[in-house]
Amino acid sequence: MQKILTVEHVEKYYGNKGNLTKAVDDISFEVEKGEFVGIMGASGSGKTTLLNCISTIDSATAGHIVIDGMDITKLNSRKLSKFRREQLGFIFQDFNLLDTLTAFENIALALTIVKTPVGEIDVRVHQVAKELEIEDVLKKYPYQMSGGQKQRVASARAIVTRPALILADEPTGALDSKSSRMLLESFETLNSNLQATILMVTHDAFTASYCHRILFIKDGRIFNELVRGEDTRRQFFNKIIEVVTLLGGDNSNVL
Amino acid sequence: MFFKLALKNVTKSIRDYTIYFLTMTFGVCLFYMFNSIDSQKAMLNISAVQNKSMEMLTQSIGYVSIFISVILGFLIVYANRFLIRRRKKELGIYMTLGMEKGKISRIVVLETFFIGVFALAMGLVVGIFASQWLSVVTAKMFEVSMKAFQFTFSFNAFYKTLLYFGIIFLIVMIFNTISISKLKLIDLLTDGKKNEKLKIKRLWISVVLFLVSVVCLGAAYYFINKNGMLEVNGMFTASIVLGCVGTLLFFLSLSGFLLRVVQANKRLYYKNMNMFILRQINSKINTTFVSMSVICIMLLVTIGTLSTGMGLADVLTKGVKESTPYDLTFSYEYQRDNTKTPINDIAKKMEDDKIDLGRYAREYAQLNYYSSDLKYGDFHFDDSLLRQYFGYDQIKLVNKYPMPIISLTDYNRAAKMQGKPEISLKDDEFAVNCTLYQFQPAIESFLKNSGKIVLNGKQLTTAGKTAYRTALQTSMSQTDSGTLIVPDAMINSLSLQTEVLNVNYKVGVNEQELLQKLETVYSEDAVESGKIVRPYDMELSRALIFEQGAGLKTVVSYLAIYIGLVFLITSAAVLALQQLSEASDNAERYGLLQKLGAEESMVNRALFSQIAIYFFIPLSLAIVHSYVGIRVANNVVQMLGHLDIMGNTLFTAMIFLVIYGGYFLATYFGSRSMIHQRQN
Repeated sequence: MQKILTVEHVEKYYGNKGNLTKAVDDISFEVEKGEFVGIMGASGSGKTTLLNCISTIDSATAGHIVIDGMDITKLNSRKLSKFRREQLGFIFQDFNLLDTLTAFENIALALTIVKTPVGEIDVRVHQVAKELEIEDVLKKYPYQMSGGQKQRVASARAIVTRPALILADEPTGALDSKSSRMLLESFETLNSNLQATILMVTHDAFTASYCHRILFIKDGRIFNELVRGEDTRRQFFNKIIEVVTLLGGDNSNVL
Repeated sequence: MFFKLALKNVTKSIRDYTIYFLTMTFGVCLFYMFNSIDSQKAMLNISAVQNKSMEMLTQSIGYVSIFISVILGFLIVYANRFLIRRRKKELGIYMTLGMEKGKISRIVVLETFFIGVFALAMGLVVGIFASQWLSVVTAKMFEVSMKAFQFTFSFNAFYKTLLYFGIIFLIVMIFNTISISKLKLIDLLTDGKKNEKLKIKRLWISVVLFLVSVVCLGAAYYFINKNGMLEVNGMFTASIVLGCVGTLLFFLSLSGFLLRVVQANKRLYYKNMNMFILRQINSKINTTFVSMSVICIMLLVTIGTLSTGMGLADVLTKGVKESTPYDLTFSYEYQRDNTKTPINDIAKKMEDDKIDLGRYAREYAQLNYYSSDLKYGDFHFDDSLLRQYFGYDQIKLVNKYPMPIISLTDYNRAAKMQGKPEISLKDDEFAVNCTLYQFQPAIESFLKNSGKIVLNGKQLTTAGKTAYRTALQTSMSQTDSGTLIVPDAMINSLSLQTEVLNVNYKVGVNEQELLQKLETVYSEDAVESGKIVRPYDMELSRALIFEQGAGLKTVVSYLAIYIGLVFLITSAAVLALQQLSEASDNAERYGLLQKLGAEESMVNRALFSQIAIYFFIPLSLAIVHSYVGIRVANNVVQMLGHLDIMGNTLFTAMIFLVIYGGYFLATYFGSRSMIHQRQN
């Protein structure tokens, strides 16, 4: 299998010598093409910092991050922008749709940024919209849509440029359970039908249970790794809960 | 504690305040500068006439200053509303911490006070120095020499500035307190997340509205062109109303219309950030269309006053050389009422009254105007030639006037004094003199086509196909709208209208001495009591007219610059503040673009386009408005003389380039740093 993402001994420190915070402390892992990987951890565990480093929004203090054969820790800001728009797709917790644009235009915006030929834009937007079942909201503005629809539009925007890696930061964080389920099923479809590689950060066990593999992070380090394998989603969910309890249990020991 | 907080807030957000601060400083500086003109007299060698012009200047600037301070007051109130909006989150935090609204408004009032004091102090200092430079310009405009340079400080202007701006700031503080008392905590904290509801939901409506606005503007242009500016009637009012409505509709519908048009062309719509930019503008149009319209109209006033005002000033003085062929002209209106008796020979009457005209005059000649029942209307001038310059009502009025008549001898004597060729006429011939160029085509067309008149039952034929262009007396501007020259024999049967005596001085004569002598002999008292008859109603000297002209020129051009500049900085500042406050609201949107991988240069370009559109669309419409307006206004100005449009337009364009362009760039760089600051 082709490796899409390789994270090698990545560290991210904040503060100065006297008062050092290790948000990410020597993390290494790999993601292969077509995988659906989750990163779990409590608030403050460093999972979002790690995602920011991978997504090139933030830069790592040490270590290497290789995406699709390119070491992004060695790119300058201009190349980073280019890399970001060509290789990465983003899904944010609060959707981050432009309220001035319609759903169609929000999706098309990502294509115009990568300078897709105009003739292709219509076709590709409709293609993704069909896959995510949002064809009927394409003409609506974000304020006319439900949260679930918004997040699926945001997902469509992330996938439409055919990125090597999709990064989702708490995508279900602002959704009710029904919308969450629909969104995650969409992710599964994207993953299985389009071979999209997805890296999702979440602290919700239900959301995480849709992944193939989960990395648990605590205090900036990888604490555990869980692979779904042949388990059903319910079995996998129970395993996740066990680990989460263990993670939480540590806390109760402190108390 | 609050004092400290307010002071800290001001110094901390100095960058947000920069444009507001500089605008106010500039406003204060202009205010002081123009109001301090009075005190600059101390530096100049000015005559009594010029002193009068100065007084007129000071007075008119005083009146205009009231108007100006109202405009600046609006700007400051408006700017403060923006600054409060920009800081909603901060104020919200104060409130969540339990600070009362009263205390919050005290902080804001204190801040306003600090900024006001800084701006006032700064503006006054700059103004005091700039007014020194202005006095040099004044000296040049008045065409007088400066005694010796001395540093002047006008206490009057100083107190006036303090008073006017003090009142403005007091009003601003009241407004701020009111607007803070109306704030709700929930709005303060969630501000910026709420979407503006679009007034025009469907895009095709904006297309229709846009077409309506174009029709309105077209009609307004047509009416003002047809009607001109001199007659305030239904058509004139309709033109103004249609113009305003058209402008409002134009800005209300423009963004929707553009969106529709560009959307139709997918290639353009999906190119670069076009989609984003157009949607950005369309999303704010509800709140901005009114201010855009007001700004457009203010820019129109700016362009109008700067170019026509300056043009008018030029015209007022340029024509003077041609309209003053003699050193001194006395005129005596005989027919005004029946109590007067004809003088017949003004010079002789003066000699009789012991005024030795010969001591001063190298030459002089009398010229008598007569009138008959021959009116302008009797010439049946080609209306279409007059219509270029006059309205219907004016032509009707002119047609009722009798055309003045002079004798051949009088004309030749007047021409000889100017070194112009003498003319000759046969017994049944006449000629026409005309210096007002608006009448020349109509008169000459008459001479070519008909060329015959009947005067007291006798038919006369024209001696030539063109009219003579000799100024027959010294006056403020050319006034001869057509004078018949007839053989001397014809005069006897006509009634005397006006007597004129033109005088040229000997070399080195002191004019003041002559005028003073006349003043003493024909003093107001002596004439009133009937002891003596003054053989003239009015005397006009070339030197005096030149001085007055220079004074008038200064008054008009100073007022134009004063009003123009204040309007310009006000509209530019409003635009800048709008865009800056929008940039802080939009930082998130631009941030998202960057997260999606748009390069910094691409984001900057989008920002640049957005701000450029906001700045230059009102300007463009204002330019179109003023093109039409100035053309019509020129017709009025041209009645007074020829106008150098190019020069004034260039001057106006330069001022715009520097001030408006400066505001634009400052806004762009300010917004840019605001957006990138948010990212880091």
